[in-house]
Parts: sequence; C-alpha cells; structure tokens
Amino acid sequence: MAKGNQKKIRGKPLRHSLLEHYQPIDGVVDEMVDASGNPRPAWAPFIEALEELGPEKLGQRFARADQYLRDAGVYYRVYDKAGANEREWPLAHIPLLIEDKEWAEISAGLVQRADLFEEIVADIYGPNRLIEKGILPAGLIAASPEYLRPIADTRPASGHFLHFCAFELGRGPDGSWWVLGDRTQAPSGAGFALENRVATTRALSDIYGEMHVHRLAGFFRRFRDALIGMAKENDGRVAILTPGPLNETYYEHAYIARYLGIMLLEGEDLTVSGGKLMVRTVSGLMPISVLWRRLDAAFADPLELRPDSQIGTPGLVEAIRRGAVSTVNALGSGLMETRALLAFLPKISRALRGEELLLPSVATWWCGQDSERRHVLANLDRMVVGPALSTRLAFEDDDQTRLGSALTPEERTALIARIESDGGGFVGQEAVTLSTTPVYVGGWLEPRPASLRVYLARTPEGWTVMPGGFARVGLSLDPTAIAMQRGGQAADVWVVSDRPVERETLLPQEHDSFARTMPGSLPSRAAENLTWLGRYIERSEDTVRILRAYHVRLAETSDPDMPLLADVRDYLEPFGIDLEAAIPPGLIGTLDSAVYSAGQIRDRFSPDGWLALKDLSKTIHQFATTVAPGDDATRAMTVMLRKLAGFSGLLHENMYRFTGWRFLEIGRRIERGIQIARTLARLTRSGAPDGSLDMMLEIGDSVMTHRRQYPVRAGRRTVIDLLALDPLNPRSILFQLERLKAEIGLLPSVGPEGHMSVAAKEILQLNTAIAVMEPSEMSAEVLDDLATEIGNLYNSLAKAYFG
Amino acid sequence: MLRGFAKSLRQTRKVGMLYDIRLHLSYDYDAAAGGSRHQVRVLPQTIAGVQRVVAASLSFVPTPSERTDFADFFGNNVTAIAFRDVHDGLDIRMSARVSVSRPEPGLDVSPDLQCLREELGAVRSLAPDAPHHFLTASDHAGIDAAITAYARASASGSTVGTAIDLCNRIHRDFTYDGEATTVHTRASDAFRLKRGVCQDFSHIMIAGLRGLGIPAGYVSGFLRTIPPKGKPRLEGADAMHAWVKVWCGRDAGWQEFDPTNGMRASNDHITVGYGRDYSDVAPIVGVLKTTGGQVGDQAVDVIPVALEKV
Repeated sequence: MAKGNQKKIRGKPLRHSLLEHYQPIDGVVDEMVDASGNPRPAWAPFIEALEELGPEKLGQRFARADQYLRDAGVYYRVYDKAGANEREWPLAHIPLLIEDKEWAEISAGLVQRADLFEEIVADIYGPNRLIEKGILPAGLIAASPEYLRPIADTRPASGHFLHFCAFELGRGPDGSWWVLGDRTQAPSGAGFALENRVATTRALSDIYGEMHVHRLAGFFRRFRDALIGMAKENDGRVAILTPGPLNETYYEHAYIARYLGIMLLEGEDLTVSGGKLMVRTVSGLMPISVLWRRLDAAFADPLELRPDSQIGTPGLVEAIRRGAVSTVNALGSGLMETRALLAFLPKISRALRGEELLLPSVATWWCGQDSERRHVLANLDRMVVGPALSTRLAFEDDDQTRLGSALTPEERTALIARIESDGGGFVGQEAVTLSTTPVYVGGWLEPRPASLRVYLARTPEGWTVMPGGFARVGLSLDPTAIAMQRGGQAADVWVVSDRPVERETLLPQEHDSFARTMPGSLPSRAAENLTWLGRYIERSEDTVRILRAYHVRLAETSDPDMPLLADVRDYLEPFGIDLEAAIPPGLIGTLDSAVYSAGQIRDRFSPDGWLALKDLSKTIHQFATTVAPGDDATRAMTVMLRKLAGFSGLLHENMYRFTGWRFLEIGRRIERGIQIARTLARLTRSGAPDGSLDMMLEIGDSVMTHRRQYPVRAGRRTVIDLLALDPLNPRSILFQLERLKAEIGLLPSVGPEGHMSVAAKEILQLNTAIAVMEPSEMSAEVLDDLATEIGNLYNSLAKAYFG
Repeated sequence: MLRGFAKSLRQTRKVGMLYDIRLHLSYDYDAAAGGSRHQVRVLPQTIAGVQRVVAASLSFVPTPSERTDFADFFGNNVTAIAFRDVHDGLDIRMSARVSVSRPEPGLDVSPDLQCLREELGAVRSLAPDAPHHFLTASDHAGIDAAITAYARASASGSTVGTAIDLCNRIHRDFTYDGEATTVHTRASDAFRLKRGVCQDFSHIMIAGLRGLGIPAGYVSGFLRTIPPKGKPRLEGADAMHAWVKVWCGRDAGWQEFDPTNGMRASNDHITVGYGRDYSDVAPIVGVLKTTGGQVGDQAVDVIPVALEKV
C-alpha cells in the first residue's frame, strides 16, 4: 500500500481516482468519507487497493462476483403484476466497512435489546406484569394479530421464546446508530449475507485477504451447535420448516439447510402423533424436537391458527403446548415486531432491567395515548405516520406509511381525522435520514442510502452476534428504494479490525475428532420428488430419442405420410406428444415437470445440477420458437440428448449413493423399463411398418452393438434379444430390472423386520420371469403387460414410502 | 333460535332450570378419509353465576386414535381427536345435564360510551374475560362502516341501553332465513343481505358494538324451544344457538343479549363457549385428508327436567 504515497510525491496522479465524483449529501453522514471528504481509517486502504486495480480490472472482478451468483443460482422471488418471478440477486459490489470498535458497541446494544425482548415476550405470554403495572397498554397487545391466544401461558420447551433475531439499523445525522425495526418472527437474509460474502470475496479476494475482516462461519457453527444441543436434550432432530418453493426467500432456506446440514421440510412432511411432532420419512415417522421455522406463526397450524393455511401442520400447537417441540422462534414471537412497541421500550427497559437502551430505536409515539397523539399531530411534518400494529419496516411500507410533509392538504386533513377517531391504530415516527455508503457506477463511486441488518443467535453461552450482515443499499438517493422487493441492492458488510482476526470455518479442523456420519432419514416428500425427477428426465430422454429417429427419416423422405412415420405419430399421440410441432408441447411439459420436482428439493441439489436442469428447460423453450421439423429438429434433438447426458452424468458422478440417490435411480429405471417395453411392443409387433426394427435399434441406442453381436440384419428376434433380454445392455429391459432389484433391496425396510416389502417381492418375481424368457415368447402383448407391471412397481413403492 | 317463540321466552323465570341436552353431529365423507384431526367444542361448562354442569359426556364413532381434553384460551372445553386409520364418516354424540340460573338484571349501572372508554383503559389485564380481546375486528365480525352507522342510531345513554336497543332493532329489521347464509358468512355480508340465522345476527350486533367502541363477544350454546300449544316437542328439532355478550363497564360487567329473539339471555340459554366470533367456538374444526366433500347433519334436544329452586 506504500504506492499511494508515491503518487503524491511524484505530484502527478497516475491513477484513476474513484472518489473524484463522490459527493455526499449535506447533513447526511457518509460511511466512507468524513465531513471534510477524507476516507475514514477503515476505508482508506480499501479504496487505495481498489484504485490500484483500476477500472478495467475492477469491472472484470465485479463480473466475477456476478458470475458466481449466477452459477450458484442465487435468486429471490419478486411479486409484481406479472406474478411471481425469480430474480438474480442484486449484489452491490462494494462492501460496507465498519471498524470493529464501533461494531462492539452495536453488538452490545443489540444483545441488550434481544435480552430485553425475551423478557417482554415471556411476560406477555406469561404473568403479564407489564400490563398489570400499566407500562404496556392491554388494548395494544390484544388488538395485535401477532398476539396468539393459543400460545398464552405456554412456556417454550427450550426455556426461551427467541433464538434467532435480526435488527435493522440506520445511522442518523448525528453519527449514531438507530434501530429502525426488529425481526423476531422468522428473520430472513442470513443466508444471503453468506452468499454476499462469498461473491464479494470472489471479486476482492486479495484485498479481503490483506484486510483483517471478521469471518462469518463461526456464527453459523455456534448456532447450529446450539440447535443440535437443544434437540438432543429432547431426544429428537432439528429441521428447518419452509413455506415452500414459492416463498420469496426459499433459495435461502435451501441454502442454509445445505450449508448447516439440517433437514429442510414443508408442513406436509410433518405430522403430529401422540402429541409429538414427527417427520414422515422413508424409514417411518421420526421425532422432531427443534423446528427452525421460516414461515409466519399464523400459518403454522390450520387447526388452531389460520384455518385457511395450506402450508401448516395440524396439531403443531398442541405439540408445542405439551412441550414436545421447540420452535425457533417460539410461535407468538412475531409480536415483538409490532411498530407501536418501539414507543414503550425505553420505559420497559428501565422498569425490567433498570437500564437505558444502549442503542435507541427510531423515536416513536403511539397515538392510542392522548399526549402522544397530540405530539404527533402537532409535529406531523417531521413524522412518518403508519399503522400501529404493522410489522413491516417503515421504508418498506409506503402504501400505508406516509411522510407527513409529503401529504396533500386533503390527505393531511383525512389523516388527522383518522388519527383523532382511531388513535390506537396509528404510530408517528420521526422521519429518519439514512447514512450513505458507496456503490460502484460506471467506473466511479457514488453515495447511496443504506440500512444495516444484523443477526443474533442464542447459544448456551448467550447471544452471539454475526460479525457482518447484510446492507441494503438504494439504487437512487431515495431511502424508500432500498427495499429488495422494490429494486434495492444488497451489499456485504465487513467488520474490519486493525489486528489479524480468527479464521473460522464450518468444517471440522484437522485436529478435531473425525467420524463419518450417515445422512439422516429422507423425508417421504423428498423421496417422491426425487423419484419423479428421475422419471421425468428419463421420459424426456426417451421421447427425444424417438423424435430424433422420426425427424431424421422425415428429412430424408419426400413422403411425410410414409407408413413408418405415420405409425410413430399414432404411437406418440396418446402420450400427449403431438408431432405436428417440431418441439411437441408434451415434451416441454415433461421437462418443466422435471424442473418443478427438482425445485421442491433444492436443498438436495448441487448448484451445478440445478443449473444444468434449468439449462435443459431453457433450451427446449427456445427451440420451441425457432426449430423447424426435419433436419433442424434432428439437430435440436441431438443438442437435447447431449445436454440430458450431461445432466445425468452430473447426477451419476456427483451424487452421494444414499437413499435419495436410490429413489432417483429407481425412478429412472422404472421409466426406462416402461418406455423400452412399450416402444418395443409397438415396433416389433407383427404388421409393424417397414423400417420399424432399425428405428427401434436407433431409439434403443443399440445400432452399433447389434452390428457387432449379430452378423445378420436386424430381425425381430435379435432386436428383442438385445433390447429386452440382454443383461449387459444398459438399455435393455432386463438391465433395468436387475438395477431395480438391487436398489429396492437396499431401501430402508418397512413393515416387520426380516420380511420382504411388497415392492421387493414384485421386482424379484418380475426379474426372474424375464430372465428366463426366450425372445420368441415376447409378443407385443407380453411386452405391453410388462410395461404395466413395471408401472405397478411404482405404486407399491409409493404406498410403502411416500404415503 | 326460531322467531315467533320470542314472546313465551320473554317471561322471566325466577327459578333455575334443569336440562338434559343431547347433541348429535354426523358427517358422511364422499370419499374415505385417511388421517384427520379435529377440535370439538360442544361440552357446556360450569360458569359461576350462570350455570352448573351436573354431568356431561362426549363420544365418537369411530373411536379416535388419539383424544385429549383441554381448556382453550377463553376457558372453553375442547376435545382434540385424531384418526390415523381410514374412515368414511364421523359421529359425535354429546349429552349433558345442566342447571341454569342467571341473575335477574338489576338496575342499569352502566356508563355512557365516553366513560366506558375510560373504564376500559383502566382495565390492566389480558385475562380471558378482559374486555380488550373483544374490541377489535375479528374474522367474522370485522368493523364495517355501514354496520357502525346502523349501530350509531342506538348509541345514546348507557351502554346497556345501547346494547338493548341494538339487539331489538336487529331482531326487528332482519329476517330469519336459514338458506341465505353459511357458517362462513361474515357480518358485513349478512348485514347487506338483511337476513341470516343466529350466527349472523350475533356477528352483526358484535360488529356494530365494536364499531361504537363497546367490547362484544360471541356466545355459543343451546336454546330451549317451546313447541306451539297442543303440539308435542319434536325429537331433534332444536339446533345450536348463538348470542352476544357485551362489556358494560366496570360495575355492570358482561351482560348477554340474544338479537335473534330480541331479548336478554335467560334461563333458557345454555352456554357452551365464549369467543371473539364464531371461529373461536365453532362446534367442530378439522383437517381431513380426503378427495371428496362431506355431508353433515345436526340434531339437538334440549329437554327441561324439573324446576330447581334457586
């Protein structure tokens, strides 16, 4: 970093200065530069290192970060008029830097706040002393939809309501940090904070390496250990409960589950039996004693909470009342997000703990009290006014939360009237100005408003604070534009020390004791989705092979109605594959179904596997609009086959051979067995058009083998021998049955010990029957029946494992 | 419950009543159900100063795989049942002997609405009977501008006077019609229809009172019906009933009114449960794994046993 001085000594600026156009707003604190425009101590070496790289390299570096996020498939879901869409993660490449001395103050303030919150929520659902003493108004709590009556008087099994909290902070004009809002329901973003870190360090690894930045992994390790510790006390497992793939932060749920090695479940995976919460797995019901829920409490149990919830587990509240399961956070904790509560915190802190808040909240007045209401009305121009019971952050809620000074005279009169008639429904909050932090725009740094989200997790030793977090940065200078749903960006947060920091990782260190653990039980729903993924992928491949064989012939003939082509059309039509289109919609549907099945179990997928699958789907949709029948379609199908082979190869080479892989493999083998048997029945039937046998060999990818094995032209007997009965041909029916027998035999046992499952008996019978058959016995009827029998195998498996 | 009987009901009884109550709920499922889980709220409870449960029983066919009894937040008796095995219907039978003896309404000591608001603010409690739970909108009884405007015509003088007037007006202005609404109908919709059943009239009254700032809750229970002169009492002809409880200030406390019959709750009203609206005290809620629909039937008998001295 000594070069920086050389620049000045020589007196001629050699480098592009990133700060040249950096103009903070008057009266607003800037994170990077002080009031006189000089970089703050933590930032100076960082800026210098960026300048040293120069604009060209910086551009390449940042592109590398974006590439990482794309490759990893990081997305969040946005709801707009067009419906729900996955959107690429909007990384602001410049991290927000905070010195660790300042961070220690933030941490102390937030730990105090989290402890206070625990006391408050335990009191509200317990002895209610705050209300009895008149410190909290009973009417405010009773009116909140987050006050869950079925939970009242229930002590959480873990002893605590709050285990994982997030706080949204902003820095005011006087330079001190304020809490803008609290997240206690099911805070999101911690996983994105990790991805921000990975992406940012992809771009700036050398700078990151040289600066002393606190690592994030230790925070997650401590929390995971805490969860597992809680679960062990109660003799059960830990699981993460997600609302499912349509949730805006599902990616994060899957990511955290994968990162921490915790089961990811949906409500329908769970059931309550004998007052205990159980997960349905392929090995039977297994108890869950800690549930890290990522869905709002109201949706957790349709029996006692919102009856219209489709994503909950009936009986969960009963299991909680009986102390059989701890939810993280406890149901009902969302109450602490209520905006009006901010008005009471200073008083409560003094009453309960004899302490002032170390980190103040944004100044808030609840209009349900006379003097507070008068204060808000008298100072409306300096206020943001919104619903008292809202749990949204003020800047995310501009539909209902309004800046007093921005109201038209009519709106103002109407609002005053509403506050006067229904004061309890409103809070006034001081309008906050956020500090600015730099973003990189077209080669220069520019200031943008930012807020900071910090995460706290409970461990047996108390709260641990994630040293870093997640900064939301505006796309413009408008502070309301920092909400992710509205097009804000996210930046990494570096807590910088002037001394070397401890390097932590989630992986056990070499000196740690080493034991290989087997993966946990596979939830039934995941097994079902894996099986269908296998089936859909195989069905796509088989269809593509037939389509290619069809279009090759179509391209070579002058007669599109020649008997063989007409026969193929008739054959595929009942399966929803209409050959009028070069890319039949039925094929697109099959691939979309594969993507859907995989999307239900993203936590079980490597990013590479997911990208390969998305690519398959993208390609077929593109082909659908561009490809013409015949030659063009032949080439397109060849591309599809190559990509399908790529995806299969990824699965085959990279997936750990445990129960999950087994179900995927079983799905594939069942589908291939059905497809080959059916196609074989059709193309080898007596009276099949000329050329059918050659086509069959081509569809079965066995032209070369046939040429080698049989010194004769393809005949019915040789084709059946090779594609039905040859145990060495990976496309033959017998080969599929052998594989199925092996894999089904390795599935977890169901029913009484030592008994064969129904599916195991069926496959054994089927396999034995086919193994001893002669080609001459395999009539079209026998082959069709065989396809049906293989299909029935799926039903037996579904009954045993997916019910 | 049934209009036309109001007159005979209004004769105040100075003595308590003893009843045998029988309830039969039956559900036939179109397609057999796999697992299912329900909560049933049909058992009357002993309430100091209102009624005493002498004996009560609740049985199910088929026999549930799991059964637990507990009291919910509002103190109502809940029986939670679960079925693991396939079943094609559910039969619930409740029978209870209950003696009811409500106090005579005394002098109206309730405050006007302005003072009520102050008295309400002074109640520092979230206990199940604290008025705060019953003041804000709930699923079925949301605060609705049209209903509030309708209720405002009753708002003069004391809280009890306001409640009585609104109760009588609903009884007068709305038509009893079992076909017009369902258990899911909200107060605002029933209000626009100007018709409905006890559930709807109760919700409208609750919504109206809440709109005026008066805490009001939903009471589910049974009503003794008296057959027309000379006709025998028909077996199973009764139905479950609903009425309204109103918080009338610190001294007057909770008072109950029946807008379906335009009267105060009497010794003919047998209480099962309290809630913010129907959804808190629905006789049965459940989650069923089935592909088809279901047909339900309800039969209720409220049989006076003998007069009981207070």
